Amino acid sequence: MIGMNHFLILSAILFAISIMGIFLNRKNIIVVLMAIELMLLAVNFNFITFSSFLHNIDGQIFVFFTLTVAAAESAIGLAILILLFRNMRGVNVQDMTQLKE
Amino acid sequence: MLQTVFFYVFSVILVISALQVILAKNPIHSVLFLILAFVTSSCLWIMLNVEFLALTLILVYVGAVMVLFLFVVMMLDIDIETMRKGFWKNLPLALCLGLVVLAEMVMVLVTKPVVVYQITQTDNSISNSNQLGWMLYTKYSYPVELASVILLLGLVVAVALTLRPSSKNAKYQNIAKQVAVSKTGRIEMVKMQAEKVEVIVDEKVGKDKEVSV
Amino acid sequence: MTIDNKFLYLAIILSPLVSSIIVGFFGWLIGKKVSHSLAILGVLISTIGSYIVLYRVQFEGLYFNGILYNWLTVGSQSFSVGLLVDKLSSVMLAVVTSVSLMVHIYTIGYMAEEEGYQRFFSYISLFTFMMLMLVLSNNFVQLFFGWEGVGLVSYLLIGFYIKRESAIFANLKAFLINRIGDFGFLLGIGLILAYTGSLDYGVVFSHMSNFTHAIMPGTSWNLITVICLLLFMGAMGKSAQFPLHVWLPDSMEGPTPISALIHAATMVTAGIFMVARLSPIYNMSHTALAVIIYAGGINCLFLGVLGIVQNDIKRVVAYSTLSQLGYMAVALGCGAYSVAIFHLMTHAFFKGLLFLAAGSVIIAMHHEQDMRKMGGLGKYMPITYITMLIGSLALAGIPPFAGFFSKDMILESAELVHKLGLPGGGFAVFTVYTSVIVTAIYSFRLIFMTFHGEERFRHVDNHHGQDDHGHHAVEPEESPWVVTLPLILMAIPSALVGWFAASDFVSNKILSGSVANAGWFVTNMQEEIVPLKMVLEGFTHIPVYLALAGILIAWLFHKNPKWSDKLIKAIKPLYVILMRNYYMDDLYINLFAPIGRAFGRFLWTLGDMFLIDGLIVNGSAKIVDWYSKILRKLQSGYVNTYATFMILGIIILLTFCTRLIFA
Repeated sequence: MIGMNHFLILSAILFAISIMGIFLNRKNIIVVLMAIELMLLAVNFNFITFSSFLHNIDGQIFVFFTLTVAAAESAIGLAILILLFRNMRGVNVQDMTQLKE
Repeated sequence: MLQTVFFYVFSVILVISALQVILAKNPIHSVLFLILAFVTSSCLWIMLNVEFLALTLILVYVGAVMVLFLFVVMMLDIDIETMRKGFWKNLPLALCLGLVVLAEMVMVLVTKPVVVYQITQTDNSISNSNQLGWMLYTKYSYPVELASVILLLGLVVAVALTLRPSSKNAKYQNIAKQVAVSKTGRIEMVKMQAEKVEVIVDEKVGKDKEVSV
Repeated sequence: MTIDNKFLYLAIILSPLVSSIIVGFFGWLIGKKVSHSLAILGVLISTIGSYIVLYRVQFEGLYFNGILYNWLTVGSQSFSVGLLVDKLSSVMLAVVTSVSLMVHIYTIGYMAEEEGYQRFFSYISLFTFMMLMLVLSNNFVQLFFGWEGVGLVSYLLIGFYIKRESAIFANLKAFLINRIGDFGFLLGIGLILAYTGSLDYGVVFSHMSNFTHAIMPGTSWNLITVICLLLFMGAMGKSAQFPLHVWLPDSMEGPTPISALIHAATMVTAGIFMVARLSPIYNMSHTALAVIIYAGGINCLFLGVLGIVQNDIKRVVAYSTLSQLGYMAVALGCGAYSVAIFHLMTHAFFKGLLFLAAGSVIIAMHHEQDMRKMGGLGKYMPITYITMLIGSLALAGIPPFAGFFSKDMILESAELVHKLGLPGGGFAVFTVYTSVIVTAIYSFRLIFMTFHGEERFRHVDNHHGQDDHGHHAVEPEESPWVVTLPLILMAIPSALVGWFAASDFVSNKILSGSVANAGWFVTNMQEEIVPLKMVLEGFTHIPVYLALAGILIAWLFHKNPKWSDKLIKAIKPLYVILMRNYYMDDLYINLFAPIGRAFGRFLWTLGDMFLIDGLIVNGSAKIVDWYSKILRKLQSGYVNTYATFMILGIIILLTFCTRLIFA
């Protein structure tokens, strides 16, 4: 029988993979953004799992809002990405060192 | 039994596609695998009787966000080779950190099993979408409004960021200025003297030089 | 005479202050004449008021002890401006204001051609105000305020000739030496506050008896003795007691009226006044009284001797002031506080007179102060001569002048203490008797050198040649009436005050209730004093003959100038020691000052430069600098570095939150 832990461990694996993704693709900001989406998915997975097993609908409401915010976030993130690409002819994270100067 | 089989099948697909998202050389492949990951997790969510959010995930994420990603990735001219630089160098650290996080989370789950309390007895006769709808428009109506404002903000910011008012091709009209124009502003009478030419004798060279004044 | 008493007190205190402020700030506007008129008016109001108060206190039993204004409250302790009008303060009021009035009038003549005329008047009026605050205070805070106030004005006036380097040195010296005394004074006040919880005289006196046998924590010292000695340290500074006396001779750099007012009649006696005011406390500590006797005795004899070798007319009078302050201190130490105040009063008159007369001579000699360049002035300036003679006779203790009465009583109290076998008695008797002769010698040496004999000022021209600006071309003449009037007015009490006040002071009738003489003094001095009898009896006692012998010695040496040369040759080493002020100045300048400076430099380098500047100010900046040098390595500017640290943070947080390591 599939219990709550199965889902939680699955989401933990997803989370770990997304962390690894951020480290592996340090230069590619698009993949970093996608890893963040993956991370959010893992978080949502947790919410859904608890909500479903605890029979509490509030968790799902939270997921709903997370989705909303994540959508807005990725829209803005991609807009910034385009702006970045336009100004620097690339999306290399290593080039983004304006803060340093 | 069938549920277990489905769970493992979907889980394997989800983990593999997630791994592919971060490992694929081509960002387009990453995006496609991410879509696969979303779809698979949507299937898993349906197994948990969360059909509304599962559908929303597909509609919002796969239908909108991921298409946006795909669009951006395709639009931008990305040098894949430079992007992949340092991939192998970072691998040990990434593996270490990822495994540590995973180990910690799993250990939490194993050593401290979650006790399931029956907090709210949900009525199974009402569908999940119905329940969610009730909650959203009663208890959570203000947060829903806030969420809509955030979405609007995202829209405005995305437009404002990518808009290029300084572009040379852009043409603007200042209506107020056009209306307020007067005759003197249009024509200006200028009196100019004819240009004179003065001749100076350069004594050293003995040549005449023309200097305009 | 139905002036409200409280209004009267305020008028006495505030009128000098008001005139000081007006003259000080608007003196340039209102001119010299209006300035000095205003200043004198202010002091005149004070003086008249003081005499009314004196009359009412002595004959109508007026007594006032109250708070005028609550200055600040700290916790349960409130500091207020209060007045204590009793017999002691009324006597002091009369002395201070009358001497001050005389000096104000005198100043018109003395300072006529000096720069900073208005400034001077402003200062002396301010001084009068401060002195009145000191005298009238009913608590230690106000006493300290007046104490420091008169110190400040003294500092300003010693350095009145701001362009003269020696004056600046002298006022700095006076200020620094007084700081030492004030340090002790403040510690004493602090101890009183700590133990009695109050700074009000009345409350302190009533509480003090609880501490008769109290011991300073951590030591084996008697608490009261410690308090008394600390307070007396303040008095040592202000009243120039050995070894804090070194500033007083140098203070003669100031204008002469100041020497008369501040450095002879009033301010320097503040220490004596303070001890008398606190007599209930001092009576509880025989040790402190013995210390006072020794300090006073040293002043009395050894500093008096210095007066004999001085040639500067003002310095002679200054050393005699030191000696007379020593007399007062001995009287205090003998428990005869009222006698000390009596001597304070007579001394204020005759010493003020001597200074003013010396100033008159200085005017006549066009600001020449060296007695070797004077002589034979008696016939040119008779008023000055006669008044100064009266002052000197009073100083030497020749009956029936005022000094005789007060000094005789001090001798008697010293003898009494000796007879009772109290500590310091023998020393007191020895010093006071010896200094009678010393006093007579230096005061009449001054008279003879200045007013008799050869007119040496006529030779001066030849010595100085072209240096001389024709100063002495004119004959010396009597000073204007503004100078001589105060001399005459001061000469009258110098001559007569003893007749009226002697018996009252000894029986303490005049100060009863405010000054408590020591028990032994009260029990042994019950005999009624009849001035005439005292004068007549005086001729059967040694002191008068000692004084006359002193005058004779002075006259002999005056008649035979070679004697003094021979004597100087015979006791050359001693003479050098005397001329160098027992090397006290050298001791201060070469030992204490370098130690003080070294200590200051040590604090400056260690405390200021190393600890504060180096460690705290620059050190904190360096730490920030060093820390940020490390931190800037983290601040690479690469977004992924930040992401890395974020994730590391998450991991650490997760580790802690899940209590994996603590489980």
